[in-house]
Amino acid sequence: MTFDSRIGPTGREDDLTNALRALYAPPSDEGYWSDLAQRIMARISNEDEIDTWWQPFARLARVGVLAAGVALTIASIALTREQASASIPSLAYETVADTPRTSLLQIAIEPDVNAEREATLRYVMAP
Amino acid sequence: MQPALRVHTTNDVLELPAESADRARERERDLVLSAQEGDHSAFAALVRLHERRAYAVARSIAATHEDAEDAVQEGFLHAYRALDRFRPEQAFGAWLHRIVANAALDIGRRRKVRDADSLPENVALPMRDPASDDELRRRLVSGLGELSQRQRSVIVLHDVEGFTHGEIGSMLGIPEGTARSDLHHARAALRRLLADLWSER
Repeated sequence: MTFDSRIGPTGREDDLTNALRALYAPPSDEGYWSDLAQRIMARISNEDEIDTWWQPFARLARVGVLAAGVALTIASIALTREQASASIPSLAYETVADTPRTSLLQIAIEPDVNAEREATLRYVMAP
Repeated sequence: MQPALRVHTTNDVLELPAESADRARERERDLVLSAQEGDHSAFAALVRLHERRAYAVARSIAATHEDAEDAVQEGFLHAYRALDRFRPEQAFGAWLHRIVANAALDIGRRRKVRDADSLPENVALPMRDPASDDELRRRLVSGLGELSQRQRSVIVLHDVEGFTHGEIGSMLGIPEGTARSDLHHARAALRRLLADLWSER
């Protein structure tokens, strides 16, 4: 650390520096500094106490978060599997339902219009 | 051997001889190591050792004595929380000053937002007996109000507290050259604004 000896508390004094020093002079009362140090240490102790109080809960919270994470993972895996197994029959049904009917199947399930006509004709022409 | 150490008493700065400075640094290092191991009394000793200088840094940035005091408290609290990240071979003071400067800048920004409508300019008002006000003080406060916050901080840190340009740059997060240029402009502006007052004397 170097010190600029031209200006500053131990350097050349001038009117501007003097005026600034007077304006920004720190409290001169020694009691003020003891009090400030005490307040700082009180805040630090307070913070430490909060940390101490919170520490077991923080550990529990960490365990809780971990457990929740594991449960969420298991649940999502189970859900994925369930969805996968549920989708197999529906996929099979959809496959069957959406399959274009072949001509043989069409013949089998649709009434044969020509055969009916022939039967009617045979009936009419029959003696 | 490192250069002599500056020690700040209530209203003065003492420059310790190099040997004493080495001993002081050694003692400070021991205190830091003890504080890092959880010794509260060691950290309390560091607070007592550095609070005046920390206040001076905060005061050069903050608008009021109360804000500076808050910044000092916040700064020490941040330093305590970050103590395990501090490397003992660093200068504790320089590290602390950066933290305090940041705390003061944060408080300043929060105040600026809060007081945007109510206060036209947060000129640094010293903690002084109003009865001791005089023309120079009034004009100086007014002159400081015409500087940017950074220029004000730079001139106070340099001319009042004796920090070097490099130290100021490091504290305020600006290049050393910028600190130098800010100081030049701030001093020129204040001299110009107060010239007639001094010529009358």
